[in-house]
Amino acid sequence: MDQQHIRNFSIVAHIDHGKSTLADRFLQRSGAISERDLKEQVLDDMDLERERGITIKASAVTIHMEVDGETYMFNLIDTPGHVDFHYEVDRALAACDGALLVVDATQGVQAQTVANAYAAVNNNLDIIPVINKIDLASATPEDAALEIEHVLGISAENVQFVSAKTGEGVQELVRAIVQHLPAPQGDPQAPLQVLIFDSEYNDYRGVICYVRVMHGTVRKGQKVLLMGRQRTHQITELGKFRPQMTACDQLAAGETGYMVASIKSLHDVTVGDTITDAAHPAPQQLPGYQPPQHMVFCDFYPSTGETFDALREALERLSLNDASFSFTPQHSDALGPGYRCGFLGLLHMDIVQERLERECGVSVVQTAPSVTYEITLRDGTRKRVESAGDLPEMGHIEELREPIIELAIITPADSIGNIMQLAEQRRGEYKKTEYLSPQRVLLTYEFPFNEILYDFYDKLKSMTRGYGTMDYHVIGYRASDLVKLDILINTVPVDALSLICHRTKAEARGRRFLIKLRREIPRQQFEIRLQAAIGSKVIAAESIKPFRKDVTAKCYGGDVTRKRKLLEKQKEGKKRMKTVGRVEIPQKAFMTVLEPED
Amino acid sequence: MTNCRALYVHVPFCRTLCGYCDFYSEVLTAGRAAPLVAALVRELAGYAARGVFERFDTVFVGGGTPTVLPPSELDRLLRAIHAYVGPVGRLEFTVEANPATVTDEVAAVLAANGVNRVSIGAQSFSRAELRVLDRTHDPDDVVRTSAQCRRAGIRQISLDLIFGIPGQGLDSWHESLRAALALGVEHLSCYGLTYEADTPLLRQRDAGLIKPVDEEVETEMYETAIDWLAGAGLPQYEISNFARPGAQCRHNLVYWHNQPYVGIGPAAAGFIDDVRYKNVADTAAYVEAIQNGRSPLGEREQLAPARRAGETAMLELRLVEGIDRQRFAERYGQDPVVMFSDAIARHGAAGLLAVSVTHVRLTRAGLLLANRVSADFL
Ligand SMILES: Nc1nc2c(ncn2[C@@H]2O[C@H](COP(=O)(O)OP(=O)(O)OP(=O)(O)O)[C@@H](O)[C@H]2O)c(=O)[nH]1
Ligand code: SF4
Ligand SMILES: [Mg+2]
Repeated sequence: MDQQHIRNFSIVAHIDHGKSTLADRFLQRSGAISERDLKEQVLDDMDLERERGITIKASAVTIHMEVDGETYMFNLIDTPGHVDFHYEVDRALAACDGALLVVDATQGVQAQTVANAYAAVNNNLDIIPVINKIDLASATPEDAALEIEHVLGISAENVQFVSAKTGEGVQELVRAIVQHLPAPQGDPQAPLQVLIFDSEYNDYRGVICYVRVMHGTVRKGQKVLLMGRQRTHQITELGKFRPQMTACDQLAAGETGYMVASIKSLHDVTVGDTITDAAHPAPQQLPGYQPPQHMVFCDFYPSTGETFDALREALERLSLNDASFSFTPQHSDALGPGYRCGFLGLLHMDIVQERLERECGVSVVQTAPSVTYEITLRDGTRKRVESAGDLPEMGHIEELREPIIELAIITPADSIGNIMQLAEQRRGEYKKTEYLSPQRVLLTYEFPFNEILYDFYDKLKSMTRGYGTMDYHVIGYRASDLVKLDILINTVPVDALSLICHRTKAEARGRRFLIKLRREIPRQQFEIRLQAAIGSKVIAAESIKPFRKDVTAKCYGGDVTRKRKLLEKQKEGKKRMKTVGRVEIPQKAFMTVLEPED
Repeated sequence: MTNCRALYVHVPFCRTLCGYCDFYSEVLTAGRAAPLVAALVRELAGYAARGVFERFDTVFVGGGTPTVLPPSELDRLLRAIHAYVGPVGRLEFTVEANPATVTDEVAAVLAANGVNRVSIGAQSFSRAELRVLDRTHDPDDVVRTSAQCRRAGIRQISLDLIFGIPGQGLDSWHESLRAALALGVEHLSCYGLTYEADTPLLRQRDAGLIKPVDEEVETEMYETAIDWLAGAGLPQYEISNFARPGAQCRHNLVYWHNQPYVGIGPAAAGFIDDVRYKNVADTAAYVEAIQNGRSPLGEREQLAPARRAGETAMLELRLVEGIDRQRFAERYGQDPVVMFSDAIARHGAAGLLAVSVTHVRLTRAGLLLANRVSADFL
């Protein structure tokens, strides 16, 4: 197909504004999916995506559309909205010539709308704003359009109004895509330059690279060079997602599809790498991507009854499918051998943990997630520290720096006061306020990442009656007066429970933490003493009395199953525990570190 | 096919519902007794036709409150059961009764149909505590009911008592035990009050309306019951059960030895041919299923041998005598001391289990931690 009849675009939006549903309408209209196979959010094909109702991984699909009697090839990429997976959006945008910026007509511009719009602009893409969900009674499409113009500076002239649910307006949108988004411009005769914009692992084919051909033409059987890795491969299969994988013989400049080349591990390809012809390589590589940053770290330890080997095998297996988390062996004094894992964010961490238990059947004890700190020691060496337990003695530390994020909050204007107050409690530094409309504002702050990691978003939601949204990115590190708070159980420090916090908050935090721990650690056959300490100074203490009895003196009649299930449940609860000394500590206790401050 | 020698019958009706109760039961309203009894009779006949049993040695009619049935319906039910029981000398035929529900007429119906054991839901001899439990009777009703049963010729009387009732003190618990003993009962069941999910009692506790008894006190109540009753000639033979020698509840022993039994009625559990089943906990659905010749089963689980062995151990540990090693080895092909070596070593070292040449049993300390210990045998 000639390039004039090709359009490559991404669908980007704030979470839940309807990207995947809009993709459904395109697929349906093009006939790529029969009415019978049509289900909601067809492209969300991972179990976890369907269960959680969100997109986690970008999906590319090629469809053919009829516009004014001519056939066009659309290569569209549905992207995730959640901030943890923002890197997927960046990757997708680099493979496109345009973007549909979807905005929910009942919600208007939200934090990720702004982030994604900027990402598209940074990639020099043409944008068509799409106001979605106009079928809803509470929709205010004109307001949303004004906000787009006002906040994002994107002309409202080309705005399309659709309902991805009913299909209203989708035909006009298709025409607008043809008219307003540019055709690709690569030269099919030039030396081959193919961008790998994503990858996935398939049990039968090995690694499948999602590719966009920038220049030249790539053919099945061709010997190619991965320019970054300096490895050559022979292409065994080329094809397009329609949405099932459909093989073809070649992909020419401007086209999007997939490539299989007997690559065994996701770790053997770099997303963002350039594929070129092995015999006639292109003079230079495409710009590629920054590798995604691991924002939070936590440790996984095998729970009582699981082995370290089982955990290692499970992590290796998972990493076949998800190259975006890291794991390195780790030894905790209290918990024994385990793994330190890095994630893109808390949602990502949750997902990995859930897959470990569900898909691999290993039960783990997980420590509270931590951000990465930077330290300079007295002797001048610099280090990164991913958990409080790894911190050297405070006496050896010259400077302790914490990650700072820029946080964008979009909220109804009447909540500003509350947010300001929250920001103050969390050491936020106010930057600016922009009015989206008289009722809604965009607030920009700088925060220590650590302060917003856990419950900040919930707090924001509740103080804005659910309307507030936020987006953030790390902007650097800053020295702070931070201290390490140690937790001792029966006088033994438990590294996995220690935490880093600001000096002014340490005492209060330690006291509250112990009270929560006391609640989470079940009573045992002996007394348990809990202490919080900074250095050698104990700042708080609590104790847990031993229990006297655990016997169900009750009549179950003949319902033995019920009795058994009760005991089994009790045992199950014990599974996700870790024994420190003689004390059994449940999973939840490790997470209490993070619980709300107040 | 198993020859079941025990029958449980569930009558899912009560006069009013108690706030702590999570057994399946409904308030009995007009016109509902007859269809239920007809269905029970038909379900029982079905098992008979399948040859699941020949004669029952033990029958337990529980609920709910079987004695709320109109005497004519109660008579119809008991008569149908009586057709399947074994010789009088071997038979234990128990009916549960709530104090305020037994009239002379009811007592006569029981006796006439071969019932020789009545289990009375006394719960407490304190008016205030009975109110907390939403019980509608008062302490005198217990005395009266017991006397009526005796008069009608029923030989064995058992009382249920509850300890750990909000507001109950040690003194008042002792008072209830004394009052029960004064009635000369052959058997006592002492249950610790449990706050079950989805019960009004739990909601009251969570709302701070009632204050649970302190755990120390509750433990002491339990321990005094064990000591006192032993002194009074009713030694403990199971976690919650105490009896004069020879008066242990043989029907419940069937459960604790993990032997087969037939269960009929809504929400009744049964264990036939290594299959555990439970009927639907919905009287209307149960009656309809039986009327239409469909199975009333709600759940069904075929037990694999390992699970059966684990359950047997878990259940027999509830008994004061513990697991009979020889008998266990004959049933499951392995000495329990070998089969559960890890759990036995661990809890033995902690002083919670005692192993003798013949038995594995909980120690006194182990008894108080029975859940923890027995869970490790599953
Ligand atoms: N009424 C109505 N609901 C819609 C419309 N479009 C999407 N929805 C609903 O909005 C919810 C979110 O839709 P998705 O398509 O999953 O949103 P998304 O943007 O892909 O979400 P993420 O991938 O998680 O960021 C779903 O419940 C959809 O059914 C629409 O036009 N009208
Ligand atoms: S009388 Fe017995 S079965 Fe009926 S509600 Fe009360 S406790 Fe439950
Ligand atoms: Mg989606």
